[in-house]
Amino acid sequence: MNKRIVVVLSILAVVVGTPPVSPAGPKNDGRPDGGTLGYGEYGRPSTLDPITSNEMVSLRITELVFNGLVGIDEKQEIVPELAERWEASKDSRIYTFFLRKDVMWHPKEGEDAKPFTADDVVFTYKIMMHPKTTTPLKVRYEFIESVEKLSDYGVQFTLKRPILNALAKFSFKVIPKHGPSHPLYLTREDPFVRQPIGTGPFVVKTITTDREIVLVANENYFKGRPHVNRFISKPFADQNIMTQALMFNAIDMVVLVNPRDIPELQGDKRFVLQPYNALSYAFFGYNLRSPLLADKRVRQAFTYAVNRQEVLDSFFNGQGTLVSGPFAPGSWAYNLDVRPLPFDPQKAVELLRQAGFAPGPDGTLQKDGKKLTLSLKVPIEKESEAVKRVVLAFQNYLKNIGVAIKVEFKEWQAWKESVFQEHDFDIIFASWVFDDSADISSLFHSAEIGAWKNNFGGYSNPEVDGLIVESKLTLDHEKRRTINRKLHTILAEEAPYTFLWTLTNYSGYHKKLRRVAIHPYKFFSFADEWFIPAADQK
Amino acid sequence: MARLGVTLVSAVIGLMAGAASASDDAVVRAMRLYERHHYEDAARALQADLPALNPTSRAAAYLTLGMIYLGNAELHRGFHEAGVTVQLDYLKKLVAVRGAGGSRFVNLYLGKTLLENGNVGEATKYLERFTAQRGLEPRYKAIAGASLGLSHFLGKNAQAARAQWATVDTADPEAQMALAAVYSQAGLKDRDPVGMGDAALKKAGSSPSSRMLENLLTVYARAGLTDKSLELVKLADLKAASYTEALGETKTISFYDVAALGDLAAMYRQASVRYLEKAAADAQIKPTADYYLGAAYAEAGDVELSLRATGAFLSVANAPLPQRNRARVRLATAQYLQGRRGEAMAVWEALAQGQPAEPGLLAEILLGCARAKADCASIEPWATRAAEAGEGRSTRSLNIALGRLYLRRGDYGRAVACLEAGRDKSNKNRIESNDPVMLVNLAAAYYRGRQFSESLEIYFEMSKHFPVVRRIQEAMQGMYAMEHKSAGDVKIF
Repeated sequence: MNKRIVVVLSILAVVVGTPPVSPAGPKNDGRPDGGTLGYGEYGRPSTLDPITSNEMVSLRITELVFNGLVGIDEKQEIVPELAERWEASKDSRIYTFFLRKDVMWHPKEGEDAKPFTADDVVFTYKIMMHPKTTTPLKVRYEFIESVEKLSDYGVQFTLKRPILNALAKFSFKVIPKHGPSHPLYLTREDPFVRQPIGTGPFVVKTITTDREIVLVANENYFKGRPHVNRFISKPFADQNIMTQALMFNAIDMVVLVNPRDIPELQGDKRFVLQPYNALSYAFFGYNLRSPLLADKRVRQAFTYAVNRQEVLDSFFNGQGTLVSGPFAPGSWAYNLDVRPLPFDPQKAVELLRQAGFAPGPDGTLQKDGKKLTLSLKVPIEKESEAVKRVVLAFQNYLKNIGVAIKVEFKEWQAWKESVFQEHDFDIIFASWVFDDSADISSLFHSAEIGAWKNNFGGYSNPEVDGLIVESKLTLDHEKRRTINRKLHTILAEEAPYTFLWTLTNYSGYHKKLRRVAIHPYKFFSFADEWFIPAADQK
Repeated sequence: MARLGVTLVSAVIGLMAGAASASDDAVVRAMRLYERHHYEDAARALQADLPALNPTSRAAAYLTLGMIYLGNAELHRGFHEAGVTVQLDYLKKLVAVRGAGGSRFVNLYLGKTLLENGNVGEATKYLERFTAQRGLEPRYKAIAGASLGLSHFLGKNAQAARAQWATVDTADPEAQMALAAVYSQAGLKDRDPVGMGDAALKKAGSSPSSRMLENLLTVYARAGLTDKSLELVKLADLKAASYTEALGETKTISFYDVAALGDLAAMYRQASVRYLEKAAADAQIKPTADYYLGAAYAEAGDVELSLRATGAFLSVANAPLPQRNRARVRLATAQYLQGRRGEAMAVWEALAQGQPAEPGLLAEILLGCARAKADCASIEPWATRAAEAGEGRSTRSLNIALGRLYLRRGDYGRAVACLEAGRDKSNKNRIESNDPVMLVNLAAAYYRGRQFSESLEIYFEMSKHFPVVRRIQEAMQGMYAMEHKSAGDVKIF
């Protein structure tokens, strides 16, 4: 045992057994408490916990309900959250976190609130990594070798190897040991995923019959009670209706304004339009398990066949930009030398011919007697007018080159099951949203093929696998950047997706909301500081 | 200024109604492109049409070209400032990486960028460090030697400079061109940098490197050879790296020379002055040309000529009031720069208090005040009130001017808020709808606030029209890669 650890343990020995101090009260920053903030969301999330979810709607809720050991502030600095301080060993393999002693879990119905301790941290890591847990997070934390509770308020992580940006990885949300019904793993069937408890600024109170999620201020939040009394997440299937709801004061905030409504909101002095650059892009993703889609020439042909700029201009008022590969243009990883493929239906036809397809009697292409007919699955929550038009346009573009597409809209949860669990689809339309790491490993590494994993299309390429691993192993930023540029080139060529566009991201909110800072990815990270002047509180 | 310019030029074309012909269409077409900030396309199209225009239309075309190049000069000055800032941040991070993964060439490019920023002492240190490395290719040692000589020269050590330059073997056209460029930068016309540059280009054959072409641009721009510079830019691949260093199979670093951004700004300034002066030779167009010449001379830093041209515009009895007031602001700015501070401040304050408040004029005052590095404390509250009271488009320019003021002060949060208020959010990053100089300022404010992706998005869109911004993009991507803190999360939407 090295000297430093001995010192740490000595300090912790004093700490062990000390009861939690009184929970924090109001912030006492001179800003008023009170008021309700209703915000418009794209449908209701299927789960509300940070482990099983892989969707943005849930992420925003979990940001209000949970905390990590560390947080990341507006200036990209690591700041203390559940850990009040930490130490890293000289070889950057051992991270020791000293936990706050004044943190309480939200109380479970009919029970007293319990204190947050190191047991919860160890539990979260172990449940996250359990083979039976339904989560896309395992790949992110495979670099951890072990976790050890040092005391009630001390926990130590040993890494398999030093990694870049290690501390930021400990921003994962901690869940309570007494939360899930099963002590070892968490699935989507566990009641905890729909009625979670956390340590964060807001407590999940109810889910109404209208599928609204009501969160109330955590009076005992360790950073001080948040100013706003209630947050209400209101699901909207149609973006157009959401903006109208904002205009008519039915809600106070829209997390992502429909690009077509930006001019209207911009001209209305009651509202603020705030850009936040989530690194995201839309795509048509292919199921490479299908023999019809296994040949990359077929997938490339589909990309050539679609006039993406025309679609972007027509259905999104041109408010976005075409992308050429697996990163968003605002990312550090985007390869600026790779240009989006042009619209070239002749080239598409030629590629399909090279892949062995020829027109059948009804004009549909076929190969070995099998028609090139494919299913396109779209979640019903995406059934906005614009998305409908996009998929119908796609269908039409492909029809022009002899490919038949059957569009199928499905309820969100059912769609996810088809795509991520059963892999029962040919093509999907969806978007990925990334944090600043622009980490595509869970999307394209062959180890990420499987139920509820993000490589839903079953893409497998040893060269890509090798580069992803090399990128994870390196401690050199420029090397990682070079590798990502290479990955961009390869994946643009291999076309596991038809990469489409990244759209303009604006949040719109009523001016009565003050001190609004928006995290570009997690959105609500700083929401405990937001407030509504007393005169404007409902 | 684009909108105002279109109004003025339309009026000029109206005055020439008698001479209206298809040739006027060329001017109108170019003006439309100018209004959309497609400066390169506008200038190239009008330059191509120029020989076919009749003399009367040609004067309007000169005026239009002058305005286009002025807009492009201001924009490239913005690129230059941004490029130097971001490249310095990035290269300083890179140079700190030592050992196996360390770059050999970072010392050269950091030295050159520091020189561009005027940090001669520091530049010398890095250039010496580069040239002292063992096993360097003679070509790169010579290129660095040329820059090191310039560093000595700018550090007032002409003897050391001469000694250093004497070691550069000019048999290699690359080295000869690099030497010609630094002679130009040092203002040593007696060394005949133009002759040297032309000779080096000839020696290089049919496919000179982009590095050579950029050095030649330095030579031509500093010699005032505007036409040759403009022709050269057509040939150059402005997004090409100056040098790409391979450090193993999966690590490469691209280095860029930001001096080209400054050279392009200088070239466009010269072209602007040249065409506006030609336009001013026409009696009918002279007042309008003088108005823009005042701005072009100011952009070139020539206070005396700016005063003279602006004064000439103001002496015309029937000049429209909005342009007149703006010219008075510009005149006051020049006076301030000449040391007539009280006089200038009185003019700014008198105009700023005019009722009803005119947001566009207040914006001009703030920008003039900032350009003169004057204390705008008395004007700022009026401007802020007017910005808050106004609505939509009418206050856009004022919000932008306030944003630029805060940016200069280092108040990046307020700079973002004001510049965002001036941005057309329906076309967030489109230069057709937004003043590209504003977008560069906004990108700078976001960059300083570590919101790298917002900044990169702006440049991504801008790169479609101005490939030269690649040298800002690459460095900013590098900074983002090193500075971001995140867990590696991805979600479906």
